[in-house]
Amino acid sequence: MFKEASIREPLILGNKSYGDITADVVGPIENKAPKGWYIAITISALIALWGIGCILYLIGTGIGTWGLNKTVGWAWDITNFVWWVGIGHAGTLISAVLLLFRQRWRMAINRSAEAMTIFAVIMAAMFPGIHMGRLWLGYFVFPLPNQFGSLWVNFNSPLLWDVFAISTYFSVSLVFWYIGLIPDFATIRDRIKTPVAKKVYGILSFGWSGKAKNWTRFEEVSLVLAGIATPLVFSVHSIVSMDFATSVIPGWHTTIFPPYFVSGAVFSGFAMVQTLMLIMRKTMRLENYVTIKHVEYMNIVIIVTGSIVGVAYITELFMSWYSGVEYESYAFINRFSGPYLWAYWAMMTCNVISPQLFWVKKWRRSLGFTFVMSIIVNIGMWFERFVIIVTSLHRDYVPSSWSMFHPTFVDIGVFIGTIGIFFTLFLLFARFFPVLALNELKSILKVSGEEHKNKH
Amino acid sequence: MANSVIYAMYDDDQTLLKAAKELVGKGIKVKDCYSPFPVHGIDPVIGVTRTRLGIVSFMFGLGGLSLAMLGTWYFMIHDWPMNIGGKPNFAYHLNMPAFVPILFEFTVFCAAHGMALTYLIRNKTLPGMPAVNPDPRTTDNRFVLEIDSHDNQGMTTDALLEAIKGTEVFELNHKKY
Amino acid sequence: MEELHGTKEFMDSSAKEFKTELPVEEFVAGAAQADLSSGRRDFLKFLGFSVGAATLAACETPVVRAIPYVIKPEQVTPGMPTYYASTFHDGFDYGSILVKTREGRPIYIKGNKDHGHGSLNARINASVLSLYDSTRLTGPRKGSESTTWASADEAIKKALIDANAASAEVVLLTEPIASPSTLNVIAELKANYPSANISHVPYAPVSFEAMSQAYGTANGTPYLDFKSAKVVVCVAADFMNDFPLSAQYTTAYGSARKPEGKWMSKHFQFESIMSLAGSNADVRRAIKPSEEGLVLASIYNHITGQGSSNATSNITKGAAEALKAVPGESLVICGNNDIHCQNIAVAINEALGNIGNTIQKDKTVQLAVGDGTAFASLVSKMNSGAVDVLMMHGVNPAYDSPMAEEFKTGLGKVTNSFSFSSHADETASLCAYIMPSNHALESWNDHHVVSGHYALSQPCIQPLYDTRQYQGTLLAMSAKGGTYYDFIKSTWAGMAQGDATAFWNNALHNGSVDMGLQAPVVAAPVTVKSATQEVTAAAPTNTSGSVSTSIAAVEKTASSASGIEVVLYTKQGIGTGAQATNPWLQELPDPITKVCWDNYITMSPAQAKEMGFTLYMAQETPASVATVEVNGKKVTLPVVPVPGQKAGTVGIALGYGRGANGEHIGNAAFQTKEYGGYDLDDSGNKKPIGANAYALVAMVNGMASYTLSGATVTGTGEEYAIASTQTHHTIMDRESVLKETVLGTFKNGEQNDYNRPHTLKMHEHHEVVDKPIKEVDLWDPHPVEGIGHWWGLSIDLSSCLGCGACITACHSENNVPVVGKDEVRRSRDMHWLRIDRYFTSDMTKEKGEAEGIGTIDMYSKMEIPSENPSVVHMPMMCQHCNHAPCETVCPVAATTHSSEGLNQMTYNRCIGTRYCANNCPYKVRRFNWFNYKAYAKFSEVNPSQDMMGRMVLNPDVTVRSRGVMEKCSMCVQRIQAGKLDSKIKGIPVADGSIETACSEACPNNCITFGDINDTGSKVHGLRNDKRAYLALEEVGTQPSINYMVKVRNREETLA
Repeated sequence: MFKEASIREPLILGNKSYGDITADVVGPIENKAPKGWYIAITISALIALWGIGCILYLIGTGIGTWGLNKTVGWAWDITNFVWWVGIGHAGTLISAVLLLFRQRWRMAINRSAEAMTIFAVIMAAMFPGIHMGRLWLGYFVFPLPNQFGSLWVNFNSPLLWDVFAISTYFSVSLVFWYIGLIPDFATIRDRIKTPVAKKVYGILSFGWSGKAKNWTRFEEVSLVLAGIATPLVFSVHSIVSMDFATSVIPGWHTTIFPPYFVSGAVFSGFAMVQTLMLIMRKTMRLENYVTIKHVEYMNIVIIVTGSIVGVAYITELFMSWYSGVEYESYAFINRFSGPYLWAYWAMMTCNVISPQLFWVKKWRRSLGFTFVMSIIVNIGMWFERFVIIVTSLHRDYVPSSWSMFHPTFVDIGVFIGTIGIFFTLFLLFARFFPVLALNELKSILKVSGEEHKNKH
Repeated sequence: MANSVIYAMYDDDQTLLKAAKELVGKGIKVKDCYSPFPVHGIDPVIGVTRTRLGIVSFMFGLGGLSLAMLGTWYFMIHDWPMNIGGKPNFAYHLNMPAFVPILFEFTVFCAAHGMALTYLIRNKTLPGMPAVNPDPRTTDNRFVLEIDSHDNQGMTTDALLEAIKGTEVFELNHKKY
Repeated sequence: MEELHGTKEFMDSSAKEFKTELPVEEFVAGAAQADLSSGRRDFLKFLGFSVGAATLAACETPVVRAIPYVIKPEQVTPGMPTYYASTFHDGFDYGSILVKTREGRPIYIKGNKDHGHGSLNARINASVLSLYDSTRLTGPRKGSESTTWASADEAIKKALIDANAASAEVVLLTEPIASPSTLNVIAELKANYPSANISHVPYAPVSFEAMSQAYGTANGTPYLDFKSAKVVVCVAADFMNDFPLSAQYTTAYGSARKPEGKWMSKHFQFESIMSLAGSNADVRRAIKPSEEGLVLASIYNHITGQGSSNATSNITKGAAEALKAVPGESLVICGNNDIHCQNIAVAINEALGNIGNTIQKDKTVQLAVGDGTAFASLVSKMNSGAVDVLMMHGVNPAYDSPMAEEFKTGLGKVTNSFSFSSHADETASLCAYIMPSNHALESWNDHHVVSGHYALSQPCIQPLYDTRQYQGTLLAMSAKGGTYYDFIKSTWAGMAQGDATAFWNNALHNGSVDMGLQAPVVAAPVTVKSATQEVTAAAPTNTSGSVSTSIAAVEKTASSASGIEVVLYTKQGIGTGAQATNPWLQELPDPITKVCWDNYITMSPAQAKEMGFTLYMAQETPASVATVEVNGKKVTLPVVPVPGQKAGTVGIALGYGRGANGEHIGNAAFQTKEYGGYDLDDSGNKKPIGANAYALVAMVNGMASYTLSGATVTGTGEEYAIASTQTHHTIMDRESVLKETVLGTFKNGEQNDYNRPHTLKMHEHHEVVDKPIKEVDLWDPHPVEGIGHWWGLSIDLSSCLGCGACITACHSENNVPVVGKDEVRRSRDMHWLRIDRYFTSDMTKEKGEAEGIGTIDMYSKMEIPSENPSVVHMPMMCQHCNHAPCETVCPVAATTHSSEGLNQMTYNRCIGTRYCANNCPYKVRRFNWFNYKAYAKFSEVNPSQDMMGRMVLNPDVTVRSRGVMEKCSMCVQRIQAGKLDSKIKGIPVADGSIETACSEACPNNCITFGDINDTGSKVHGLRNDKRAYLALEEVGTQPSINYMVKVRNREETLA
């Protein structure tokens, strides 16, 4: 059978048997949740409620409750949207792209990374919704037959491309995730004692029996879905970036956006995965599955993407100067020297300078340091979107309408709220779902398991 | 004689594979195999044919693409052509570049979901379907070969059992029906 | 297919219907039936409809019941406007107007440009809204209780009879009246009570009586002929706003400043504050108020050699040279109310031979000339209890008189006080009786404001409330009786040559009639003349003697001036404060500061910096508050630094701070809170907007003086949020947005020198060529040019003076919501049409490169206006781009392009993503952030939340709902109406037959509307003119609106 080079570090530590893996993963679901979990979910649920309250107030009263104005028509809403979509990308990337590249280390993290994707995309999808002046007419964006006769949507609009991209991306990653979950639900079904849970997991597992034919199909489907999801994940953020790239506003109208946004997305996505995995690994005692090696691999991805993003920033500046267009060049001069320079330099430090520290192997493998960095990176990426959106809009072509953006408590409440909702969903996932891909882990046990490595 | 099904349980995928090979070598037809994860190499041994899901998804993708093209053409060019920002919509090919993202996304949408649905249906894995694995442990750490005496008219049940006992079988169940 | 078929039917049927002019409703029904032919997809339609209907029902405005005419009145066709020719006159503003009424409601006022003085300013065309002021008195009042007309009449009759018996003092205090009939009514009244000492005192809060006296034109100022003035020198005269007949003068002035003309007048301005006129001057010098006299004196000295040179001689030299060059064809105007300054001005005009040419003394303008002395003596008489009966109309001395306090105490001593005010305002609320008079649009009246030009006002609607026009009341008191209408007719019968009825009908139809200067005098002479006025009026105005005394006097003023000097001026919107409750005017940005909803202390930035006040104001950076103290009187207001203001001076606008003690003067006159409701002061009264600066006005030898010296300004350390529609003040040297040049370059230079077309370097057949932007395109354009109509506007930056009449016109035509101060502060003003005001900066790209200044440094320096900057006013509205960036990005195709070159906005399709607004390079799209017509925050300010105010809405224009994007539609409702009109007539749309609200309102014809495809049209010509350019042409949006390069009549060096 296939032997992995012994210089590679094992990805599963401890003398694990198939049974142990099941026990380790399903155990927490069977037993009572730790106190920490209850505390965590209470806090995040409260934040979520506050956010939902703000959203209801927003919808009830009007977009005016945000700090937007005639010059800056988008600010935190779309910033958050792009930020969340970006975060979402890591999950699909890990499960799809790394699957294609046969990267075994993905298996320990892909399940929760995909979960993160799903929840992040839900958060993201919320913003284009609530940022609409008339949410209740949101169905206008779908080409539905209607009482007005032949009144259709505008397929030229990048915003409509977004609608298609986001909905496709969300549904496909959901399916991908769930198909992977089915066999593991079956495992729980066959293990768990309490009748109610048995029934529920029975339904969730769709009656999976693990026949040989099922498994062949299963592997085929995973492979093809991965193959489809890979271009999808790149297309989605490219299309998001086209919201800006196809416009005429200096600072938005840039052809470099698609690659720049995608790498930025991966960058922030991996940072968020780090944050979550480090917490989960501790609380759910998964040290043997999510190893230092995993953390290090992800940090390497962060260095690479972080550097790409850095290059993109510099290219932008160069182009603005090289183009010789006064509006273009002013837009960027204004970015780093204008009223919003603090945002620009916050972005620069968080996204370009800080990831470079990961070149030091010691830091790269330090969990504490990684955790702090992962948060810094996500702050930086939020600022990147803020800088792109607000500093381009607030001073565009006609100086008479130049203005500033000042967030209101609703802006802030909605953003914090989405973070609350996100963590609530993730905590529920961690409690009731198999957080590791059992069947996949088992299949690599004999290849990358510590015990087996030592044997040979 | 009455038909009967024999479930030979093994505690490791490699042993299962070995046993399967032996049995097939003795000309015994193995009906199916239940395992907690894909056992690579079992399919050819017990004669499981290759799946055609890949082609299915390609067909769905193709369908999605043509549907998207039809839609964009009908909505933007045929049914109610409008002057939107001066973009040319006199003929489809003039306006088409603006639709590429939509065409792509819809293709992916159809391909992925079409395939996923076919997969679930062909697998008979749908909400509320009963599980048919002979033993709950097969989703944990046990591996089972299913041998139906009906497929092996040539041998008596006892002969079958003998042959199976010859392998490193971990547990043996024999059901009559 | 069905739809196409349907539309065909629709066209036919509609065509048929127009021939046989069926009522509109049936036409609509017919169209609907034609549409019903469609059979397919019905199920889905109904499904969609039910869903849609549910949503609509849930979220749209509730349906308001409409009651159809049971008996359709004659002349009124529902859906068709009716126009009435009338005249606006409030003692300060005057204009011939056409009132547009729909279903009997006046909804819009435009200038009657064919007859009379049809140029309007913002105050006049916004006055239609004050008709629907729900806080007007709904009937006569005795004290604070309402009473009946009968008892009120009883009271006033009794008072007069008693006064007559006691031969006591009866005073009628009114705005300056120029109405022959009204004067006759007063005469009738006097005749009826012979032994009572009845006198009439004309009172003007902002008075030009010094000018009137200096020229010896009783009750008025001489008519100034700007048309033929080649040089205009203004000393503290804002003749475009703060001046009698300002709108007409603006038009005349503009007509003499067309760069294409044979000559272009040259305009010098000497002033302390940056006024509207000053902002349009070719040469502007900042001086202190105390130097105004010196400036005149030195000009006089330059020209005549008499008198002596003084400190200002060097800055007036240029002006004097220019004046000497064109004897008899210039104007020297002094705007202050100082008799000595005016005397010198008269002397200069005498010396230049302007009098009789550009200044016609026999053709007077009876506006804004009160009788300060008479009023002063009245106040003293009142305090001595000598006044028995006091009747007041159109005046509010308790608020706007420098002697307000004395007046109030005096009013308490008046035995019988009657007010004819329409509101229980500061003065009226102190009177024994209020007998509310009609609104001007409900009243008959006649006017003789400009000599020889007789005008009529006619009612356009039945009185909304139980009010009666005061002339009627006076007539009832007189022996004559009868209605005022008949009375006017009889007066006019006296003027008619030939058939009186024909004469009357013609006059009524045109709104006015020109009788020439030899018109028969039909008005009774104005009764009381205060001693001083008669003297000065009689006195020879231009003997060197009086001039030398005046020169001595002004030199004394200059030398005695001390401390900070104060200028009191009136703003474009609020004027004297009579319409302070009009939200359209409150929200009209000041032409210079762009601040709405407040008055403030203007100050030179240098001085503000020195005194440590905030220099830059924005949403979250409020202004510093300071107290101005002069002659022991204080006013505390925020400080707004204005470039061009003379250091050491401050300016304060009059007309604010109304209703300080909780008088019911209107909803919009008070400060509101962020989440709705009024902001109350400690004593529980509503806080007025701004502060009343009339208190500071000083009385100098019987005349109000609006300039003061010896003031102190001290910061209170507090801060106050200011609402401004423009927070960035310079153009940043963006030549493709704004182009200007000087006359020399324009006359002698090539187009490239002042209007460089944008080109792109392209490779064609292996060679580099410069291609015009328009030809550089990725795809074939949609046919707009040369096919059907292509509606467009041409905006001449040379002609735009920034007065803002177009803004209020647009407001009332398009139901633009009023959003109030807090929203404007958050830069969420909803104006479809705005006027961008740019100050020049000392830093330019050339300068930066020449001096090798770093780019970052250069740009930051560009943000700072010069100390005495040139100003450009640039109207900016939707450019109706043919390659509109906003259209492509709308996901639901709610904004699309019409085949006639219009950028259309489909409100009920809009879901409010605001993507279009972000992608608009001109930032002209406006979003409905709230439900302005229902949300509590706007109840006080937005007229459409008021039962009465709602009546001013234009039924042809949707009131937009929350969450919808809106913008300039180029008055598409008028375009459609115009097209239907010519369709009925069966002729092609004639150029000029359609006007947009803005082009119609502009007193200076700076905005021209028309069909660009019609090669004969004016706009076609202008678009292809050498001065024409497209804003931001290189972005490739291909606007349907073009601008014309601004031309200044000055030498390069002075720029």
